[in-house]
Amino acid sequence: MKRALFAFLTVLIGVAVVAATALFVSRNGAEPPTLAATPAGTAQTASGEVKHATLELSVFPNASASQPGPDIPTSTTTMVANAQQWPFYSPSTSIQLPANALVTVTIHQYDTGGQIYNNWFAQPTGTIDNKMTVDGKEVTSIPPANVAHTFTIHQYPESNEPAWYVSVPLPAQADNAANEANGYPKPIDVTFSFMTGAPGNYVWNCEFPCGTGYVQFGGPMSQRGFMSGTVTVV
Amino acid sequence: MHLVKEWLQRPYVRRILWITVAITAVIIALSFVMVAFMNQSGGPASSIMDEIEKTMFVLTIACAPLMAATLAVLTYSWWGGWGSVAATDAPTEDGPGIKTNGVAVVTWITICSLLAGFLVVWGLVELATITSSSYGSVPANQQPNSVKPVDVNVTAQQWLWSFEYPDSGKITSSVLVLPVNVPAYFNVTSLDVVHSFWVVEEGVKIDANPGAITNTGFTPTKLGTFNVRCAELCGLHHAYMETQVKVVTQEQFNSWIREQGGNKTS
Amino acid sequence: MSTAVAIHEEAHVPQPKQVGRPGGFLRRTNFLTALISGVVTAGVFWVVTDKITTAVAGAGATNSMALPSGLNINITMMYIGWVIGFMAGIGAFAGPIRWFLGHDLTHADAEYMAGKDMGREKFWKFTTDHKVVGIQYLVVTLILFGFGGLLAMLIRTELGATWTEVFNPNFYNSIIGTHGIVMVIAMIIVISGPIGNFIVPIMCGARDMAFPRLNALSIWLLVAAVPPLVSNLLMGGIRDGWTVYQPLADQAPIGMIGYQICIITFAFSTGIASVNLITTIVRMRAAGMTWSRTPILVYGILGSSIMGLVWFPMYQYSQILALSDRTLLTSFFVPASGGSVWLYENLFWLLGHPEVYVIVIPATAGMLEYLPVFVRKPLFSYRLAVAGIFGVVGLSAVVWVHHMYMTGWAPQSNYPFMLSTEMISIPFSFLVLVVLGTMWRGKPWKRLPMMAVYAVVWNKVIGGITGVFLSDTPVDQYMHGSMFVVAHFHYMLMGAGLFGAMGVTAYFFPKMIGRYLDEFWGSVGFWTAFAGFQVTFMSMFVAGLQGMPRRVLQFDSLFNISNWISTIGAYIIGIGMLIFLYAIIESWRNGIPAPDNPWGGKTLENFTTTPVPHENFPVLPVVTSGPYDFGTPDPYELADDAIMQQTEGAEKVSAQS
Repeated sequence: MKRALFAFLTVLIGVAVVAATALFVSRNGAEPPTLAATPAGTAQTASGEVKHATLELSVFPNASASQPGPDIPTSTTTMVANAQQWPFYSPSTSIQLPANALVTVTIHQYDTGGQIYNNWFAQPTGTIDNKMTVDGKEVTSIPPANVAHTFTIHQYPESNEPAWYVSVPLPAQADNAANEANGYPKPIDVTFSFMTGAPGNYVWNCEFPCGTGYVQFGGPMSQRGFMSGTVTVV
Repeated sequence: MHLVKEWLQRPYVRRILWITVAITAVIIALSFVMVAFMNQSGGPASSIMDEIEKTMFVLTIACAPLMAATLAVLTYSWWGGWGSVAATDAPTEDGPGIKTNGVAVVTWITICSLLAGFLVVWGLVELATITSSSYGSVPANQQPNSVKPVDVNVTAQQWLWSFEYPDSGKITSSVLVLPVNVPAYFNVTSLDVVHSFWVVEEGVKIDANPGAITNTGFTPTKLGTFNVRCAELCGLHHAYMETQVKVVTQEQFNSWIREQGGNKTS
Repeated sequence: MSTAVAIHEEAHVPQPKQVGRPGGFLRRTNFLTALISGVVTAGVFWVVTDKITTAVAGAGATNSMALPSGLNINITMMYIGWVIGFMAGIGAFAGPIRWFLGHDLTHADAEYMAGKDMGREKFWKFTTDHKVVGIQYLVVTLILFGFGGLLAMLIRTELGATWTEVFNPNFYNSIIGTHGIVMVIAMIIVISGPIGNFIVPIMCGARDMAFPRLNALSIWLLVAAVPPLVSNLLMGGIRDGWTVYQPLADQAPIGMIGYQICIITFAFSTGIASVNLITTIVRMRAAGMTWSRTPILVYGILGSSIMGLVWFPMYQYSQILALSDRTLLTSFFVPASGGSVWLYENLFWLLGHPEVYVIVIPATAGMLEYLPVFVRKPLFSYRLAVAGIFGVVGLSAVVWVHHMYMTGWAPQSNYPFMLSTEMISIPFSFLVLVVLGTMWRGKPWKRLPMMAVYAVVWNKVIGGITGVFLSDTPVDQYMHGSMFVVAHFHYMLMGAGLFGAMGVTAYFFPKMIGRYLDEFWGSVGFWTAFAGFQVTFMSMFVAGLQGMPRRVLQFDSLFNISNWISTIGAYIIGIGMLIFLYAIIESWRNGIPAPDNPWGGKTLENFTTTPVPHENFPVLPVVTSGPYDFGTPDPYELADDAIMQQTEGAEKVSAQS
């Protein structure tokens, strides 16, 4: 009987260790808090009147006093080292959008860039008429040699969700652009609109190599909260 | 020969043989279950997948008797067919001092070698069959309706697939669209790390390597929407690197090409 | 039966002059001094490297902008400092340094290093006695399995929670890779470590291994290799599978360097241990132990050590080159600068395949070793078993490309490698026949080691047929990179390997620890884990057949049910393994004391006392017969003979009349 008790105790201790580790890791790998798109009445589209929502994001080349980095636990950032030098999307990479709505996104782009590896990502795809607006001017592509980042939403692995693909390139700042008071140059504003479908879970990431390691796809490119995140359509 | 007859008279031999027959039946039934699971997302959509499923049946049925015989001896021993000594006791006598049995060894090695030989030959023939339907080693003038195949350049990137149709004016798409019953050949590469281009229901898979172009191909035989998944860990969103292959009629394919802004060249 | 005969006189060997007290520097060193020394040296190496890189590349050089590999260099040197410091702190360099100074080790030093008259303290020091090293390996193995098991529970929790990401994808990718490499390392050493070190020299009738100091070196190198590996999770993780394919590994954060240093160090440990085992087995068997009287376990460990010695350098080399790509910006695996990803894959799998046999052969040989004892029959066709072991060892060298069927590297090579892969099933089948033949008409003694044989053969049959599927290239075109592969190798490495190791450990536990493993709780743990294992991995085969890729944390809802079932099964495995762990700990402390011959075996370790004395045998034994001399004359043979005699007798009678 005593042995049965001790056997049970061993199992209990084991379970406790597993549970504690899971909770600790889960909390420390947390992603930035959800950023929901702001409702903006309705809008007219080719398929009639739909809900409208807006979203505003910024892309900074690195954290600074005026722009602290992503809102994730510092234990995560210290674990990967040098995260202060990484470009990131602000205020959050965990995005929430309404279903069956027209969403208009404005991205303020502060970072430099270069040549993109796959020229296909230098054109907006999946937006209304495959167009986007750069500083007020409507374009269907940008020079592939001058891309800073992309904002690319793609599908979760659910085979019965409709394939959803929206990708928008963000033009780069000039390398010698003058810095303003906040330490960053004057932003390039990119605006684009797209339709959301049925509720579902999606991920998004940047497709321009702005990271470290092999072909610069490591570092911030592979870290949630910086250059990749989730999109939940509710 | 009389040795074998005498051996078959022994009660335990007959019982083990019956258990072998029963387990063989179970294994053969299981092979149908296995293939049913493979068909759960829609069933084979190309001749390659058909061949793969056929091979699953053949391999299982070929190996079933040997597997069953092994499990039968195991079962008989465990069940106490030859008696047993309880854990709380200790053995008091030795068993029969059989150091070896030439007939058993030669029979076993022969059967295993023949089985292995059959599996090899079947596998090599199957491999040649699906390779010819994958890589187009059958010359164009021998193809039945001399259909011009669809060429697709598949580019794998972290963490997306992009498909380019070089024959139709460089259209690029995130979804693979193909006309039914037309051979499709793929030139697969990667711009960053190793990915693997897996078209699940069509039964093809080939790694996408940086700095190299690999090839595969198939002829879709069924209309519908099927899955393309990445089968090699490629980083953060490896699990999300999925897209679809839409197999449509030739007319739908042509109009899709036109919609994307391309010109169909055939 | 072996007879004890005194063969040699005590010869007087002139000793070098004793310098200081016996043991010298080693009197002061133990695990604690090694830890402190390791940490301090790591820090010193970091600081010095930082100063040098700053001097060479300017201030802030470790910042990724100034020197792209800067921080990588610091971390690499830090880990190298850890390994050197740890080994210095445990006293590994005492022998060579004393030789350099002209103060050879004396007999008294050797006795001190062997832990003579030392008590518990010898387990924490650089002790050369193979029995101490065996116990040290057992403890390290248990710790590794515990850590790997914890990660497995986390993995299955993520896969079971199909509606959300429990962990960040980066963490998930890191724990699957870390789980894989920790378990692979644990499985490589689980039998060759504890049993290869403790039992094999005694089973060969020797007093110790051929190279006692190298023995201590191999265990402490292993201990030094573990913290860099485990620390990867605190440094961003490896974010890659256990195969750490390039070039993805190049994108990983600094945690990857921990993995690489661990493998480089572990490869040295394994190579040294292999040399030791091979030399001991080949050169130090007792008088009269010809190759026809050598126990099958010894053959298994010999075959496994040969494979490890030849192929581990490939893996070590792949990691050295990867580390060089990362720190020195070479381009072995960088295609854009002339490197090749296929080079990495080949180097990896050249070890990767023989390695699974390094894991499975000792477990199989161990079971073949004790099966005759539990059915009290000779091992069926001993020569066939040896042929099977060495057939596998030989063919294991020419099958590695079956892991690369789908890489597009050399499609034409798929044909010959499919042939060689099918061929390797033939020597493997020899081993199966030997098991079945030994079991045939035998009365099994239903203790835990015997019951483990049933469990293992069941798992081997399932692992074997699924291996046949995967070896067929067309089928592999569907199955590669899916959960089917994961279930297959778990059936072989865990189902046949780990459960076999549990049986072998239960068998040798009384001789090593002096007490029997608790039969009831050991069995409860074993069978609970076995039941959970079937549930987990059968369900995983289903997920693979349905088309679920591997190394994914979120997936199509088609795979939900099979993953829920697998997760429940995995929790059951966890509970079973914890109970088995409890059985080990409880038996270690309070188990039934074991006699000299715990199971009635006929191998040499049963002819010395339990616990085994310091010098193993008071007098070295002489072997006069094989170790499987069980068995009474076969009644069927006797009946045949009787009929023959009757017939001959009748003929004689009729001839005479």
